[in-house]
Amino acid sequence: MTPVSSSKKPAKTPKKWQRIRQAVQILALALFLYLLLGTQQGSTTILPHDLFFRLDPLAGITAMLAGRSWIPALALGGATLLLTLVAGRAWCSWLCPLGTIIDWIPSRQTRKYRPDIHPYWRQVKYFMLFATLVGAALGSLTLLIFDPITILFRTLTSAVLPALNIAVTAVESWLYDFRLFQPAVEWFDGLVRGSLITEQPFFLPNLIIAGVFVGILVLEAVRPRFWCRYLCPLGGLLGLCARVSHIRYKVDEEKCTSCQRCATICTTAAIDPQQKFAANAAECTTCLDCMEVCPTKAISFQGQWGSKAYPFYDPSRRQFLASLGAASIGAALLWFIPFITRKEPRYVRPPGTTEEQLLSKCIRCGECAKVCPTGVIQPGASAAGWDELWTPTLVTRLGYCDYSCTSCGQVCPTEAIAELPLKEKQRRVIGVAVIDRERCIPWADGIECSVCEEVCPLPEKAIRLDHQGRGRQRDRNAVQRPHMIPERCIGCGICEYLCPLNGESAIRVFPPGEDQHTV
Amino acid sequence: MDISRREFIRRAVALGLSAATAGTLFSLLSCSERETPATITVPTPGPPPSAPPIPAPTSDPQPSAPPVPAPSPTPSPEPGHPYMAVARGKSPTAMVQSAIKALGGIERFVKPGNDVIVKPNICVAYRSPEYAATTNPEVVGALVALCMGAGAKRVRVMDNPFGGDTKQAYMRSGIDEQVRTASGEMEVMSPIKYKEADIPQGLDITNWPVYSDVLNADVLINVPIAKHHSMARLTLGMKNLLGVVLQPNQLHINLGQRIADLTSLVRPALTVVDGVRILMNRGPQGGNLDDVKQANIIIASQDIVAADAYAATLFGLTGADIPAIRAGAKMGLGTMDLSSIKIKEISV
Repeated sequence: MTPVSSSKKPAKTPKKWQRIRQAVQILALALFLYLLLGTQQGSTTILPHDLFFRLDPLAGITAMLAGRSWIPALALGGATLLLTLVAGRAWCSWLCPLGTIIDWIPSRQTRKYRPDIHPYWRQVKYFMLFATLVGAALGSLTLLIFDPITILFRTLTSAVLPALNIAVTAVESWLYDFRLFQPAVEWFDGLVRGSLITEQPFFLPNLIIAGVFVGILVLEAVRPRFWCRYLCPLGGLLGLCARVSHIRYKVDEEKCTSCQRCATICTTAAIDPQQKFAANAAECTTCLDCMEVCPTKAISFQGQWGSKAYPFYDPSRRQFLASLGAASIGAALLWFIPFITRKEPRYVRPPGTTEEQLLSKCIRCGECAKVCPTGVIQPGASAAGWDELWTPTLVTRLGYCDYSCTSCGQVCPTEAIAELPLKEKQRRVIGVAVIDRERCIPWADGIECSVCEEVCPLPEKAIRLDHQGRGRQRDRNAVQRPHMIPERCIGCGICEYLCPLNGESAIRVFPPGEDQHTV
Repeated sequence: MDISRREFIRRAVALGLSAATAGTLFSLLSCSERETPATITVPTPGPPPSAPPIPAPTSDPQPSAPPVPAPSPTPSPEPGHPYMAVARGKSPTAMVQSAIKALGGIERFVKPGNDVIVKPNICVAYRSPEYAATTNPEVVGALVALCMGAGAKRVRVMDNPFGGDTKQAYMRSGIDEQVRTASGEMEVMSPIKYKEADIPQGLDITNWPVYSDVLNADVLINVPIAKHHSMARLTLGMKNLLGVVLQPNQLHINLGQRIADLTSLVRPALTVVDGVRILMNRGPQGGNLDDVKQANIIIASQDIVAADAYAATLFGLTGADIPAIRAGAKMGLGTMDLSSIKIKEISV
């Protein structure tokens, strides 16, 4: 090996490809955000609002595997696989919106080549992939919570936008007190409210979702693109395909001066100085940075048929089988343990779905939570059943299921939530309300209140107010008290949402005792 | 053969993936499940299930004619004007125009350059106008047109529906279309504009967050629809004002007095009770056409208590039967004694 001159500043070559790639990354991220914000009632987007989930082959394969059905919309993931077969893991450094954000985190700049923390770490993403696939084969999509597209979508929808809503409203509200600022604030408010800012309440358990995202960004301090190198199951899937990709990194050993610039700049450390600067095709994201940084133009990306011997950090067959076995057992436990403990539904779910359907069809993407106009749909978080972690649940103290809305079924990419016609939805029982007579104001305090009855959207209300007594004996001066008519209730939860008590509502919606039925 | 087993597997996988991808792309071309410009549609409820909708009166010669402010010989308030005007007829627009004219013309209330807010009742997004859950759109449109004709700087129409999306509620009620036709604006009430306001005369509540624009507007016109209400018995003009405060559900404890307290702060210059269709039962949302009665009446007065008291008679009740009206009269916010006031009855 020739000595390395890493202290020398890299030559200032025009970084054409780097600029092009950054432009593509920005465009892709902008498209992602545009489609996310366009996931709204009554809005039209130029492309399908769930485009990135359709392009995600991991979501597609697992959803079809677990749901045992062909989902045409998700077949677009095949295009991403094709791209990978042609150009390697280009998705990761050109298109993946999470990858783009990770790229923008200033990770510790290195002037010297830093090898992997340990090559075995690279296996983790394959383990994640296998566990996800085995889980899907067994009918559980729980591990899709680690899909990068769902991570970003869920974080933005459930944590970032609600926080933004609170912050922007507070600042605007404060500025609006000054007469001078009023026209400007009014203009700005009209601009962002309803598009960027929606009435999304902040559901406290969503801090965990934000935590996962922040964790991924913090890991940048350890190694650049830590998530993409070691953990990402989608990266693992694309890495498998990239091993046989057509366009690959190639280094001309005669021109190479072993300056190590390529290995230093490579964000995924795919180039190994120990192996004559060959690159691991499963780890190379085709970002082309090495090609541009090379002072002697020794590096090129060329179409190559067949495969030469790559210095893969190849799992031995034994390792491969071991990780597959561990993944299977893990996935089986995940799937099985909650299954035997589950007796009845624990959550109120959106209309048009069931708990079983969600387990095997919901890719945890968060589209339904984004589109829900009242914010009642929140990612479920429960210590008891983590197999259903971050599947949609209805938190009826934060919002209510709008009687004239069918949006969640319309946006679900996997039909985990069926698209119901409005009439059907208005009859679909998702829960039943129960009055707590110990707390209800008329029952407990003898003071009049009728909010729950007033807001019940059913033409034949499921709550009736009654004076004591009947007919002429009816005491018109006595306080009217609400009574449930459970067989009419569909569980929309607007009564619980608007109950004027502080803290917990005096009328609460519980999941229906049996399977969903219509009234 | 000089390829290793591993190499063979590799090539086989590559071939398989390519085939799968090609098949996928082909199937994509052949069966496109959803059309590409994805719109998340707002479902429209079909026609009412049982009875056909009560046809809106269409005998008006110019139902959606541009604003013709009733020419009034006396633009300034005169003691000679009736205290209340009650119009009966087939056309909501004509009834509104004649009732306002009888009160002395819209110019009595709206001066050129004024900032006007019209507050209809748009309680939910689920009901089209024939269900009588929301104020008749033509009545609102006619009022906006009158105000614009009187030279108002702008006329904003707003409510805060408790059920469903606000914009959808505006559209489904038909009010959005009528207001736009009459050059008014629909405002979605923004949470930033609610400000804590003192209610000095309040007996139960002495302060509450109120929509500041409503308090700061030059003219507030209150356009309730007359409806049954389970607890308040009826929801009329005074109850309609609950739409301009934050957390109106919290006001439902001791409702009658709290409505009156709020009325002492939020003082509409004019109250126009829409009695074109009234909801006789299962209010305030309704949902059954059997509960809707075609009453074809418009009641207009600057006295919100008196207008409500008159509207109560449509349901066979008197103002004294309604807790809020009783409380309002007691606080001196208006009169519920209909025999003491000058009422002009018109037929159009």
